[in-house]
Amino acid sequence: MRGLGKIFHHEMQKILKEKTLLFGFLILPVLTLFVTVGISLLQPRTGQEQNSSYVMYFYGIDMEKTNIGSVDDKQIWVENIDVAPEEFIKSDKFHKCDVLVDFSDIECVEIYYHQSDSVSAYLKMSAESFVRQSFDQVYKRMNQSVVFRSVDVKDITLKESNNRMIAMLLPYMLILPLTANIANFAGDTVAGDKARGTFYQVMLSPVPPISLIMGKILSVSLISLFSSGLYIGIDVIGSKVCEALHTKDVFGFAGVSITVPQVLLILLYAVLLCYLFSNLGVLISLFCKDANQAQTAQLPVTLACTLASMMSMFRLGSSPMSHYLIPVYNICLIFQDLLNSRAKMENMVMVAVSLLVLAVLVLLTTLLSYKSEKVRT
Amino acid sequence: MITIEHLKKTFKKNKVEAVKDVTLEIRDGEIFALLGPNGAGKTTTMRMLSTLLTPTQGTILYDGKPLAEESDSIRRRIAFLTNEIRLDGQFTPDELADYYGGLYEMTPESISANRDKLFDYFGISEFRDRRYETFSTGMKQKTSLAICLLHDPDTIIFDEPTNGLDILTQHLIEAYLVKLKEQGKCIILSTHILDLVARMADRVGIIVDGRSVFCGTVPELPQSQGVSTVEEAFIKLYKENHEEKAIIGRHGKE
Repeated sequence: MRGLGKIFHHEMQKILKEKTLLFGFLILPVLTLFVTVGISLLQPRTGQEQNSSYVMYFYGIDMEKTNIGSVDDKQIWVENIDVAPEEFIKSDKFHKCDVLVDFSDIECVEIYYHQSDSVSAYLKMSAESFVRQSFDQVYKRMNQSVVFRSVDVKDITLKESNNRMIAMLLPYMLILPLTANIANFAGDTVAGDKARGTFYQVMLSPVPPISLIMGKILSVSLISLFSSGLYIGIDVIGSKVCEALHTKDVFGFAGVSITVPQVLLILLYAVLLCYLFSNLGVLISLFCKDANQAQTAQLPVTLACTLASMMSMFRLGSSPMSHYLIPVYNICLIFQDLLNSRAKMENMVMVAVSLLVLAVLVLLTTLLSYKSEKVRT
Repeated sequence: MITIEHLKKTFKKNKVEAVKDVTLEIRDGEIFALLGPNGAGKTTTMRMLSTLLTPTQGTILYDGKPLAEESDSIRRRIAFLTNEIRLDGQFTPDELADYYGGLYEMTPESISANRDKLFDYFGISEFRDRRYETFSTGMKQKTSLAICLLHDPDTIIFDEPTNGLDILTQHLIEAYLVKLKEQGKCIILSTHILDLVARMADRVGIIVDGRSVFCGTVPELPQSQGVSTVEEAFIKLYKENHEEKAIIGRHGKE
């Protein structure tokens, strides 16, 4: 691998010095932040779009539907429900500002609310006060000399478990910018170099072909992975900003909860995927005369990969083992499994091995192609 | 010394026989001009000499060593420059020198010494911090030449080196080629400028329709054809050998 470091360094510098490429991988993702927040600002404010009032739901106790006051010119209602709280809070009826009081266990009353929302926090305090007052009155009415055990009021802060949403979207959100970036960078660094005549100068040097190929693949991989990570990061930041602005969380990423091992494993698979795509991009670009032709030639790969990631979005439940052998689609499944905490070791190993085998085959094909006349003329 | 014997190149894709039978001998310490009409096979021959293309048949020997077997070590000793080969426009001559010198595993000291020498000669020193893409055609060609020669090659292969350059730059490059020749280096030039051949070259090889039809000294060329100028000799040879009339393996006297 003599000269690999020099070629990698040079290619990285070349990309970083090229303003048009820099725009694609750095500026464009940042601009999406404004798009994300902009879209969300056009949406109705959360809690107002579906209900014109706030509701304090009660479960396990008979309550008549009553108006108990108002906040921000909106009525606060007390209402009884029959559905179990765990199910109700997931339904469309339970809005972000609403509060649910579960009286099913009299020793420990549970209050469900969204901590992030100020109205919800206010209603939660009202509910807690209402619960304590109710118990006091009941105790007093029964027998003032009797000492009752204190009643716990437990906060159930609803952290939006939106991993399901990010699991559904991540493959698509990663693969689309990744393939687009790779088509752009690989096209420029190989076919663009051929068109400019700079490729031959390196071919004539005593650097082994594998160093030249790997140098280009690694630089394309790193920069594309960084850019795709930036896209995802920007979307997460956008979601957080939207949440802070009390507007609609467009991508539903604000409440995502991911552990460090999950992140590391996702990153590992993303690196493998990125390497494979970059190698494919370099292989295709070797046979093209200029960057535009290379980008067009890579379009079927981009479309196929995007389609695979989109198909994974409509996946229901767990997939059969054979699906983990379909290139690209299998990595989408692994991303989803990891985020939904249902990844199986055998599937993970199978996907990693299949990706590695594919990567080695594509690399060997690239090295053979490097010697072909079409590449060298 | 480079010995080319019965070199043949057929492109697989379109089955075109770009080079049919080329036999030449190029010596150290000489400027060898490769002549031929457009599409004769000069560039393909030079690409094979520079290791960019692999011959279909025939052998190329560098000091008796077959190129096919010793391509890695031979590549370190050669420089190939054509109008098609350019350098990365985003970089300055200094950065390019560091990069290409590094690819040839040169030490920073030798890169620095050779770079300064070449940059001073070609008048690049004052522009060494400017991006290559901002240079004029002549300055680009001079920078490409300087970078190409940075690793001090024994054999220099130039495909139309002064094409499109102003007269001053042409003279500068020509003078440097003579200097290199005097250092004992082997210089192969492909050109259409017969005046340049008459003025600079020691020996000449002519390729017509993929076949070598003459290989000898410049004075021998008109003599062998019974004419008075290089140009007349070239036209005569072309007419005799064009359209499958080529005499395979014919060479002039040396």
